[in-house]
Amino acid sequence: MNENLKNTLLNPIFKGNPITVLVLGICSALAVTVQLKGALVMALSVIVVTGLSSFVISLLRNSIPNRVRIIVQLVVVAMMVILVDQFLRAYAYAIDKQLSVYIGLIITNCIVMGRIEAFALGNKPFASLLDGLANGAGYGLILVIVAFFRELLGSGTLLGFRVLPESYIPNNLVILPPMALILLGCIVWVQRAIQKDLQED
Amino acid sequence: MNTNSNVYTIVYTTLIVVVVAAVLAFAAMTLKPKQDANIKAETISQMLTAAGFSTKEDLAKLGNDKILEKYAEVINTAFLIDAEGNKIGELDTDLGSIELADNLKLQNSNIKSGKDVELPVYVFDKDGSDVIVIPVYGAGLWGPVWGYIAFDEHCDEIVGAYFDHEGETPGLGAKIKDEPWFREQFIGESINLNNPDNSFDIVKGGAPEGVSDDSMVDAITGATMTCKGLDAAIDTWFKAYMPFFQKKAAAAGDDCDEDCEEEGHDHHHNHDHNPEEA
Repeated sequence: MNENLKNTLLNPIFKGNPITVLVLGICSALAVTVQLKGALVMALSVIVVTGLSSFVISLLRNSIPNRVRIIVQLVVVAMMVILVDQFLRAYAYAIDKQLSVYIGLIITNCIVMGRIEAFALGNKPFASLLDGLANGAGYGLILVIVAFFRELLGSGTLLGFRVLPESYIPNNLVILPPMALILLGCIVWVQRAIQKDLQED
Repeated sequence: MNTNSNVYTIVYTTLIVVVVAAVLAFAAMTLKPKQDANIKAETISQMLTAAGFSTKEDLAKLGNDKILEKYAEVINTAFLIDAEGNKIGELDTDLGSIELADNLKLQNSNIKSGKDVELPVYVFDKDGSDVIVIPVYGAGLWGPVWGYIAFDEHCDEIVGAYFDHEGETPGLGAKIKDEPWFREQFIGESINLNNPDNSFDIVKGGAPEGVSDDSMVDAITGATMTCKGLDAAIDTWFKAYMPFFQKKAAAAGDDCDEDCEEEGHDHHHNHDHNPEEA
């Protein structure tokens, strides 16, 4: 694998993470992180949608009329999201119900359109696919970290299995949305402490 | 090729839309049987939860096939009634050919417009006595809300309820499904047979002082529109089932208060059509 592709693949996971560095897709990160299982499915869905949408748009990039560029992108993204939703409804019904509107709202997730506009329109399909997948994974990684702490401290379980002893009293604050924001803040803090070039004066 | 000409733009967008539509239609058709099976199992587990056989979470762990088996095991009979409370058809309850009344939306509009209705009644056998489950359906804030309400064999006490919705706001309207305390309030309540138009109430703060709280439960803060919609749904459907409830009450004999005496002329005529005997 050449250096460029490797960079495309690894950069969004940590150094250019869409949530903590680009601050995109915060809304759903707060909403679906109460349970680890939901977060994992959401992460997978976003990886699939960003990857495939970037790939398809990159294939079409030279033929798309510039004036309707955004509309064509939206149609493709919407198609991917509906496919994912239909698929979940058939094979993971309970999780689809739990994630309810948030699967549909992947369409409005800035990461998807952001990567298409910033990367897929100017790069080859394979590189775009990698970029999409990697950005989805970067998003998913944060989601899973936040959900890990929220489920562990908020319910005392992980993936539905009891991890902490029965004597642990679940912290209800962790279940509430504000805690997701606080945890997210902690992750940003840790990342900026490691990566000094992100610090602002 | 000029990708910015008008003709190109129109042809291109048309093509994209047609291709996308074809892909989505294909996916929807291929996945439909599987999705329908999920919806069926979901509906059954909502009824079983309302009737108090299990909890939704436990049923979800069982998987679709086991849920159908459980249903076939505990269901006694299921049938359709018309607006006069007379039985007009059977629903299949054998495992393998389980049939559910899945046209609640259509029935809801028929009830409202006064057309002929086919209202489902599910009778479960719980520890030797009948538990009667009926659906309610109506409009919430963002989409439909519906539920299943379980009664004892004379329909004079609610023994359980389960509500669901299509797209109510998570954390607010969605609490009709997510908060067990909301549905648990219904247990022990009864229908106000004296007031068919408003036989049940969901009100903020529960029953006001001096008012009997037999047919009243507390609404959810922050979910005013959802609760109003659910309240209207319950009133509409209870009204449609009212003749059925009254027949049940009459059949119970001594449970009947003077208000169902009015239905006395129906009483003996009842014996031919009473769904319970049929």
